[in-house]
Amino acid sequence: MSESAREARGQTILAVDDSAPMRQMVRYTLEGAGYRVVQASDGVEALEFARTSGVDLVLTDINMPRMDGIRMVRELRALQAYKFIPVLVLTTESGEDMKQRGREAGATGWIVKPFNPEQLLHTIARVL
Amino acid sequence: MASNGSAAESAPLAPAARERRDEWTPEQQLAHVLEICGAQMQSALRESDLAIETLLQAFAAFAAMVRDLEALPEELKKAMPAGFTGQLASVGKQVTSAVVAFQFYDKLTQRLGHVHYSLSTLATFVCDKSQAGEREHWQCLLATLERLYRTQDERRLFQRMAQGLPADQASQPIDETTPASAPDKAGEIELF
Repeated sequence: MSESAREARGQTILAVDDSAPMRQMVRYTLEGAGYRVVQASDGVEALEFARTSGVDLVLTDINMPRMDGIRMVRELRALQAYKFIPVLVLTTESGEDMKQRGREAGATGWIVKPFNPEQLLHTIARVL
Repeated sequence: MASNGSAAESAPLAPAARERRDEWTPEQQLAHVLEICGAQMQSALRESDLAIETLLQAFAAFAAMVRDLEALPEELKKAMPAGFTGQLASVGKQVTSAVVAFQFYDKLTQRLGHVHYSLSTLATFVCDKSQAGEREHWQCLLATLERLYRTQDERRLFQRMAQGLPADQASQPIDETTPASAPDKAGEIELF
């Protein structure tokens, strides 16, 4: 087990993405490092989960049906339990304007897809 | 799945064109051809989604096996045939590359979603004579389509072609940084 896996034991990450392959790649990467992963396929599903349960970090896509990632981050930040939880955006969006909107909504960081597993784990370890 | 994009991006092609199918005009025919192209694309994407699902299941099983082997006690690994540890490390690296490569399917489906929406918008546009005959409306159409783009690759290709480059030249610098030449190439990370 790697160092990050030992540190990760017991920590839960909410992964939000409408793409099943993406969710699977994220889950594979995070579970391999010892994190517990819960998944949601859009912002609405993620918020429903967040209103009743806590996590240690949220990793979310931006372009999703029903509720996009920017609005979801904003609504998450309005929940007391999620005010200071790290929220990383994982998206194909690379434009500065969208990044700025993410920052204003309360995101902790911005990762452009495709992610490299080691870099993703390193980034998560930094913000947790 | 992201392949089908947002509700707006997967809207049926050119309702205006469909309503007036009984009219024969070059514009109606063009809209019809665009509709066929869009339907073909959607059909191929649905087929690919099923194939990717199968691939993902196979990948998950394979990756789990690699992890089990990596977790073997050192004494057991030493008892394995010569070269086992090196081969295992090599396979582990390939699994990491596969994690990156799978994500390009997500990018592909998203980009095709934008192409599909563009075809739909174009089909409606050409059937509207009040718009299609005006040069500035074409500029507006292009600007609208450009705003759809989410990735740097899409924007770069669009801008290079808007500057007048032919498709093969416009896509050359983008092709050079795609998975075939850089399978491990990952996106940038920024902490706020």
